[in-house]
Order: sequence, then structure tokens, then C-alpha cells
Amino acid sequence: MSLPYSFRVAISSLLHEKWINFLSMLTMAIGLLFTAITLLTVYNIDLMTKKLPEKFSIMLYLKDSLAREEIDTLIEGIIQDPTVDRVLFIPKDEAFRELKATLRNTEYILDGLGENPLPNSIEIKLKARLLGPESVKKLTAKLKGQEGISEIEYGEKFLASLHSVRKGMNTIGLVFLIVLSAGMIFICYSTVKILFYRKDEEIKTYKLLGATKGFIRTPFLIEGAVIGTGGGLISFIAIISFYYTFIFNLSQTFPLLNSMHFPLELFLALPAAGLLIGIAGAIIAIGRIRY
Amino acid sequence: MIRFEDVSKHYDNHTALRKVSFSVEKGEMAFITGPSGSGKSTLLKLIYLSERADEGSVFVSGWEINSMRDFDIPVLRRKIGVVYQEFRLLSNMSVFENVAIALRIRGVDEREVKARVFDSLKIVNLRHKSDNYPHALSGGEQQRIAIARAIVAEPIIILADEPTGNVDPDTSAGIIRTFKEINARGATILIATHNRELFRETGKRILKLDFGNFVGEGIG
Repeated sequence: MSLPYSFRVAISSLLHEKWINFLSMLTMAIGLLFTAITLLTVYNIDLMTKKLPEKFSIMLYLKDSLAREEIDTLIEGIIQDPTVDRVLFIPKDEAFRELKATLRNTEYILDGLGENPLPNSIEIKLKARLLGPESVKKLTAKLKGQEGISEIEYGEKFLASLHSVRKGMNTIGLVFLIVLSAGMIFICYSTVKILFYRKDEEIKTYKLLGATKGFIRTPFLIEGAVIGTGGGLISFIAIISFYYTFIFNLSQTFPLLNSMHFPLELFLALPAAGLLIGIAGAIIAIGRIRY
Repeated sequence: MIRFEDVSKHYDNHTALRKVSFSVEKGEMAFITGPSGSGKSTLLKLIYLSERADEGSVFVSGWEINSMRDFDIPVLRRKIGVVYQEFRLLSNMSVFENVAIALRIRGVDEREVKARVFDSLKIVNLRHKSDNYPHALSGGEQQRIAIARAIVAEPIIILADEPTGNVDPDTSAGIIRTFKEINARGATILIATHNRELFRETGKRILKLDFGNFVGEGIG
């Protein structure tokens, strides 16, 4: 089978039905643009929620009776845990200094206390990729049984809600992606199906003349691929325009938008995604060819 | 080259062919004749597997084709050139493209396609119409394009279903002359026609069908 010939047939057919094909291309582009916006939103929320755990730590407040050697043993034990990234011992005097520094002009409040009321403490930072409500719960449960720890403090609620926001956004993103992809495959399917029906007699003649299934299918697959890639390219241009004319300009007024990331490399895949969706739609539309 | 053994074909409300047996030798040119509805077209369709026989065996070039897998059908069809009763020309393609498609389907190199299409169009005297579209041609011209398409790939078998159905007697004689020339080059030719004038004094074998029954044979 001659591939250049299949390309010629496909291009001539695309031009022959240019309006229906252009409309399909536009619809595909809108679908891909919505997908791109969803991805942009999910990507940025994911990025933000990934940064927040950097500030997360578990604080262990120690009993005054604990000797320095015992504290070192405790720290050694904690650092052995695979979820732990680093451990910082904060002596009570340093904590008091920090508190004073924080209060600055109102440090006289502390004068009445006389003795330093703060305990020695240990700050535990967890590895970002292992940070989650379950891992934190597991570690704190293990620490609770340790001698010399009077109190354990961490943002349990904050961590749980952060985790559910991430999970929720990823799920919404995935659902959106599946629904929109299915919709776009359907658009390509319908377009190719219409072309296939219109060429019913032509295809019958090809079959009678001895054409293989590949010979018959290839021009339709090329048509699907062109519609998909065209839609992908339009959506790529649209998302760049959307970012620079809308988000970029708005960030001058709303500084929050400044921290937004635009993953160009991710959106460069839009024409490729369109190509795959177009071919998938065409394959479904042609279905099985029988002689 | 072509052999039917007790072949029957039934449709919902009638029998198109009933226990038909005959054979056409390699390099032979033969006619199938009979009135309309006698089963001529059905018989040809069983050879290029547009239909399958309900009973009996059909052999083409040594293959029993009735049980042929779907996958092998294009291979069989590429060995056969068919002139369809309804021509089956593609309206969105020029005369050149219509003939060339038979070569492209067979994967013939593009450099060879042009020369072979023009040779074929020359045989049917339509070289000068290569850029026209089928709708701009008369019935007879369309029929000759269909013949050009059937012969262009030099198939080993040529089947023609009423190839002179739309043409005047002079053109009919010309078409038969063309088939004889192609036959002289070695192709096996089987022509279905109800027109007795077509095979008169051709000296070729005539196979007679009537209401789906094979009723004998003679010489034209």
C-alpha cells in the first residue's frame, strides 16, 4: 500500500468536507482547552499543597527529668524511622530566647514568670514524599510509648484537610480528563463515521477491487489524526493566549496569581494528545471491515 | 481455471443457482448466457466472492474459494478483473484515477502507474478522456472505463457482467474485439450476457443458464 497515496486521498477528502472537518477540529480544540485549563488548575493546586508540608513538623516536648544522654538516645531512635527526614533538638533556653524575640516589645510579660517555663523539645521533619495522615499517625503512636516525652503536638487537622484537598483535586482532575477525553474521542468518532458513511459506495468498490483493510482504513486514520492534531494545535495556541492575556495580566492586579506556574512542556503534549484521540476515534468509527 | 461443482445459491424467496457444474479452462474465453434472472450475475459473484455458495464447491486457479477466510479475499480479488454491470466507477475521481486505483490497490509503483493507465485507456480508445470525470461521459464510455480498470493490472481472470448493456452495436463489437485481444495475451475471460448478437460467430464456448439451472453449452 502506498502511504503517499493514502495521504493524498485523506487530504483531498478533508478539503472536500472542509466545514464539517473544521467544526470537528474546533470542537476538539475546545475540549482540549478545557482539559488544559483543568490540568493547569490541578497542577498548581498540587504544587501549592506539595510546598505546604515543608512547614509541617511534629513537636515533641520532653520531661525536664530527661538527661542529655537519654535525649540523644531518643533522637537516634527517631532518626532510624524511614519517614523521618531530619530531627532538631531545641533546648529550653533557646526556646525561651526565641519566645522573647517573638514577643519583642511585650517581653515584660515573661518577667513575672521568673524561671523558664518552657520544656526541652525535639522538632521532627518528615520526608515530603512520605508525608501523610497515616504515616504521621503511625510515627506519633510509636513515640507516645516512649519514656521522657510529655506531649506530642502536630497539625493533625491541617494535615488531614491538606491531604483530602490534594486527593480531591487529583480525583476531580482525573474524572475531568476521562470525561473530556471520551467526549473528544466521540467527536472524532462521529466525524469519521459520517465520512465513512458518505464513502460507503466507494469503500464497497475498493473491497470489490481487492483492497486490503489497511488500504481502506489508512486514509480515515490519517483524517482522524489530522483533525485531532489540528484541534491539539489550536488548543495549544489558545491556552498560551489564555495564560498570557488573562492570567499574566491579572497577576499585576492580584499578586497571588504571580505564584502560578505554567508548565509549557506539559501543554506541548496537547497536539500529540489530539493526534492519539483522533486516531482512537477513527479506529472506533471504522470498526471491523468485512468482505 | 474456474470450476463449479454442484453449486447452489438460494435467496430468501428463490433459488438463483441449482446444482450448477461447469469449468472454464486457463486462457479460454467463454460466455454465460440466459434470460434476465437466470443466475448469470450470481454465478459471477460467486467467483469474486461477493456472494458465497450455499452448496457445492467453487474452484478458482486451484483454490476452493467458497470456504476462503475473509483475510484471503483481497488476494483472490486482485487476481480477477471485473467489469460490473453498474460499472462501479468512483464519481469523485477522474477517469485516470478510476483506472489507476486498480494498480494502487495492488501496490504498483507510482512511476509505473501512469504508463500502464494510459496503455489501458488506449486499448479502450479513451486516452483523450483521462482528465474527465465519469458523470461527463456517456454510458458506453463509462463501460469502457470499467473495462480499462478491469484489464489494467493484467489479471489472470476477467469477468464481465453485461459489458455491452449500455452501448450501441458498433461499440459492442469493439468491446468484444478488445476482450478477444486481451484473451489472446493469455487471460481467461468469462462474459455474462443476454445479448446473443455478442457471441454470434465468435467461435467461443457458450454456457447456458435458465432459471438457475445449467441447461447446456454450445459454440458461438
